[in-house]
Amino acid sequence: MNLIAAGLGVVVAGAAAGAATGALAPARARPLATGLLTTTVGLGGVLAGAAALAGQAWSMTVPGILPLGAATLAVDPLSGAFLLLIGAVTVAAGVYSVGYTGPGGRHATDDDAAAGAAAAPGAEPAGQRAVDAGTGHVEAAASRTAQAVLPLFVATMLLVPAAASVSTLLVLWELMALTSLVLVLAEHRLRRSVRDAGLWYGAMTHAGAVAILLGLVVFAAAAGGESFAALRAGAADLSRGTRSLVFVLIFAGFGSKAGMVPLHVWLPRAHPEAPSHVSALMSAAMVNLGLYGLIRVGFDLLGGGPRWWGLLVLAVGGLSALYGVLQASVATDLKRLLGYSTTENVGLMLIGVGAAGVFAAEGNRALAGLLMAAAVLHAVNHAAFKTLLFLGAGSVLRATGLRDLDRLGGLAARMPITTALVAFGALAAAALPPGNGFVSEWLLLQGLIHSLTGTGPPTVVVAVSMPLAVGVVALTAGLGVATFVKAFGVGFLARPRSAPAAVAVESPPSMRAGMALAAAACLGLALAPVAAAAPLARVLQVMPTVRDGAPLADSGVRLQLVGIAGSMSPLLIAIGLLVGTAATAALARWAGRGLPRRVAPVWGCGGTRLDSRMEYTATSFAEPLTRVFDDVLRPEQDVVVTPYTESRYLIESVRFRHRVPDRLEARLYPPLLGAAARWGRWSRPVANGSVHRYLAYGFVGMLAVLVVVRLSG
Amino acid sequence: MDHSIGLRPPVSETVYVQTLNLICGALLLAAVLILWRRELAAIVRLLVVQGVLLAALAALLGAREGSSELYAVAAGVLALKAVVLPAVLRRVLRDTGEVRETEPLVNVAASLLAGALLTLLAYAVSRPLVALAPSPATQALPVALAVMFLGFFVLVTRRRALSQVVGFLLMDNGITATAFLATSGVPLIVELGVSLDLLLVVLVLQVLTARMRLTFGRTDLDELRELRD
Amino acid sequence: MTGSAVTVGALAAVTAQLVLVVGGAPLLAGLMRQVRARLEGRVGAGVGQPWRDLRKQLGKEAIRPDGSSWVFTAAPRVLLASTLLIAAVAPFLSTVSPLDGVADLFAVVALLLLGTVALAVAGLDTGTAFGGMGASREITVAALAEPTILLAGFALSARVGSSNLAALVEGMLTAPGQVLSPASLLAAVAFAVVVVAETGRLPVDNPATHLELTMIHEAMVLEYAGRDLALVELASALRLTVLLGLGANLFLPWGVATTASPLPLLGAAMLFAVKVVAFGAALAAFEVFMAKWRLFRVPELLAGSFLFGLLAVSASFFLA
Repeated sequence: MNLIAAGLGVVVAGAAAGAATGALAPARARPLATGLLTTTVGLGGVLAGAAALAGQAWSMTVPGILPLGAATLAVDPLSGAFLLLIGAVTVAAGVYSVGYTGPGGRHATDDDAAAGAAAAPGAEPAGQRAVDAGTGHVEAAASRTAQAVLPLFVATMLLVPAAASVSTLLVLWELMALTSLVLVLAEHRLRRSVRDAGLWYGAMTHAGAVAILLGLVVFAAAAGGESFAALRAGAADLSRGTRSLVFVLIFAGFGSKAGMVPLHVWLPRAHPEAPSHVSALMSAAMVNLGLYGLIRVGFDLLGGGPRWWGLLVLAVGGLSALYGVLQASVATDLKRLLGYSTTENVGLMLIGVGAAGVFAAEGNRALAGLLMAAAVLHAVNHAAFKTLLFLGAGSVLRATGLRDLDRLGGLAARMPITTALVAFGALAAAALPPGNGFVSEWLLLQGLIHSLTGTGPPTVVVAVSMPLAVGVVALTAGLGVATFVKAFGVGFLARPRSAPAAVAVESPPSMRAGMALAAAACLGLALAPVAAAAPLARVLQVMPTVRDGAPLADSGVRLQLVGIAGSMSPLLIAIGLLVGTAATAALARWAGRGLPRRVAPVWGCGGTRLDSRMEYTATSFAEPLTRVFDDVLRPEQDVVVTPYTESRYLIESVRFRHRVPDRLEARLYPPLLGAAARWGRWSRPVANGSVHRYLAYGFVGMLAVLVVVRLSG
Repeated sequence: MDHSIGLRPPVSETVYVQTLNLICGALLLAAVLILWRRELAAIVRLLVVQGVLLAALAALLGAREGSSELYAVAAGVLALKAVVLPAVLRRVLRDTGEVRETEPLVNVAASLLAGALLTLLAYAVSRPLVALAPSPATQALPVALAVMFLGFFVLVTRRRALSQVVGFLLMDNGITATAFLATSGVPLIVELGVSLDLLLVVLVLQVLTARMRLTFGRTDLDELRELRD
Repeated sequence: MTGSAVTVGALAAVTAQLVLVVGGAPLLAGLMRQVRARLEGRVGAGVGQPWRDLRKQLGKEAIRPDGSSWVFTAAPRVLLASTLLIAAVAPFLSTVSPLDGVADLFAVVALLLLGTVALAVAGLDTGTAFGGMGASREITVAALAEPTILLAGFALSARVGSSNLAALVEGMLTAPGQVLSPASLLAAVAFAVVVVAETGRLPVDNPATHLELTMIHEAMVLEYAGRDLALVELASALRLTVLLGLGANLFLPWGVATTASPLPLLGAAMLFAVKVVAFGAALAAFEVFMAKWRLFRVPELLAGSFLFGLLAVSASFFLA
């Protein structure tokens, strides 16, 4: 029996069972039942993906279930990579959701911010908090709707890469957008900002869907068929203009789902506001489908294109990486920071895809293959560590009700396991060895630096763009390190900066298990990326202008590039670090003659004791960077000094407000929204509320279409 | 610096290429440092270095071609760019008493990054020129073009009148280097004419600076806006 | 048989290299202090002083600030381990090393950054404003230095076609004329700026200061005492040695053995020591004439070095 069919069968059956359970089961049983069924859906995806990557193929046509014709599904290695990725994220998120949606947590609400600001650390006893949490808050993420939609969401996500015709893809894409929108809005009663985020997300995702729809419809019309096989066959006969039009449209559409700049505005809003396991699913799994769409249509169906496509993707990728990481490095909301970091990582993937496009157009298959492999591997790595980090942020949120780094801290002692797991995730996200993010960034850099050593002198475009790309990747890596040092160091270490952080307790076992699964995936990818060599080679086989054997050689412990002199061994580096650390620790203990380590109060600069308000916060940590990138970020500051009425030299209070707005959003979107609003006002007379008039519009429209068809036919 | 002068023609190929590359690299380095430094005195010193390098370039080409005319050009360039013009600039510096370019219109870090982009641009636009007649000398054309661009950039973004002169001279150095590299040396008479023009321009600017200082007390060129009304 | 002999020789070379670097690093730090002292008209404490300090600190009690976690104690060990790993894989003495395929230039850069991050996180863990301030500044400088160091690496590896350290050194050895090529010179300037920034030397940071306005590195490690402090001090001396050694062998590779036989290795060790000592002394002498820059002028320096890195890359195909 075909394992892919079995896996997808599990996905569909699990989703149906999960939706039914979520809708019908009693509230007490709901978290466990839907959590486990969601996990089952994920396992089905993992099975199907692994089978496809191992070389199996499968396709199926279900006639008549879609209005325009048959639903067509087919799974090749490229689909398999994304099936595996999404399935694995789902498994971790499903296990995690059991505890996260279960009773006993605190979730951020609008009044939390006010309450927390007033309370001093330690003022609120632990018992009080537990009572408060048990009775006070609505468990929005555990609501009937949210629980029923979750399995549907992951199932549609898993089916998108399996879609093999335009109509199937579009229907699944829309279903995915709708179900995710419902999940983003799960906590809309708790916070006003959720509604805002939902609105932005809905608008942007639909604009993206329209672009994809237009692109694919133009493509299908010109190619004379809507199945992927027909598109593939007809792509070669398209005129250059049509091909480029299709590419630009689908790039914008899939790019908005991937969160690339400047279409990223929904991402730092929606990802933080969704329940954390949903954030993980969106940020680690769903954005990758944007990348999947781009590769599927650009490199497979269209079969590659001129060099400027690659350059466009490369430029947008560089911009996204830099802008995303800059905003992340100054963000103080933990989940918003992770959201911007997603934009950054998508930017890095796009740099890989774009550079691969440039080299594919120049006929340098070795480099194109390496860069594409780096991009796909980075998508997988990013999914692993971003799942871990969002789940970790969810644990913090559930334990403290806080997302604001400036008020967190001291969790290392209170939530030791979560802290250790997040530390590993942060290491991976900062692209440092021995994390898994380092491996794919290393591959990306190898691809870029070998651009000048091909046969003959490099072309002007390559010679100018590749050094800049290396600079961008390097600056992104540097700022990424700053971002995650801040997120981990300020959020989890030192002493707590607020009362809720001071009384945090470790999360329930299922949440820890979910995080541990994601961490295990990170560890596996970090130590044995060599195992990905063969599957990656199969993924590249899908792309006609890229395929050229395997980009990586399976040479035991070393990661060896093929056709390019370069090698590195993540496993030996990790072992070396481990042995070095252990040896150093043993040596220090021996040389210190076993003297015990004493815990002492820190030096208080002459003061007797330091309190938590004297600690460095996330804002102060990022201040030098804010200042260095002042011209780009344009932070807003206002200071209000209120003197006493008696004398203006005696100051009663000083209020200082500092904010780093998203400048691209502030500059680009208001004119657009203003224009839309004006257009809406202008067209208001057209929609006056009369039902007859609306019916008449429909009637006239239908007649017009019939007449046009008759005339053109 | 110009150790190649004593070599007999034809200079051995590798030594010629290496010296040429070294001189061009140093020319670019000096131009970048002019963009970086704020002290006007240091900038004038860097111009001297560039003058010496240009003379060395002319001499190297002379040694390569075995032409005595190029040696004369080298001597002329050395005298003008490494001695006379810097002396004029130093005098202006002494008279105005301005020590540093305090507030360029674009901050230094940003202008360095702009310099990076300009260099890449110079490379991109000079490719067709290089492709016309590939040789070690024309290979180095982007460097000369980059020096020219950097000079123009200094001209656009600096406030002090003296910095403007520096930008102008940097541009001229770029043009001279382009001429040397592209044509393997220019006729003596052309070089002579250009040099005289240059000297004249600098002298005019010196007078202008002195007048401005008398009128406004400073040499911030933005003050000239007041003349409009 | 010869294969195993070569392996044994190579392993011996790696061990010798580790011993040389670890033993020599504190001496290098002592020498640089001594050079500064003499140039400033002081007698100085002698070249062996850092070793004496280390012995003293190792015998003292370690202290952990109240409220800090396992991160604080683990950081010096991770820092030292990452630096030791670099010292083991870098081709300081011989280009024939069994560890060559383990880490290339970019992995070495990432390992350096790992050490920086370990200390920065520990600085934040202390919970004092000093620790946070030092961490914030150190990370800012490290983040901005990253593009320079990678571009310098790009320029070096573009010529050889590989970023493996042994390949870089061998490429330079086989074409000695490259030492004076514009690409190498520009990359060397960029690399020198990075060394200064990464090891916290003047004008970026003053290793001898304890004034809060100017501290970067010292502020981060202020809370360490006893054997923890000894590890931090040893690691920072090692980092300096390793970076100077990399600079010496990547830009002036003469004397590096291309076999693993004892005699060339001995010569390589001596030449390596001479080169590193010369670079260290030059750096110390340069510091005497420098004042520390304002923190917010450091980005200017790093933007300049980034430009040099980019020019180095461009020059490698401009003037090819």
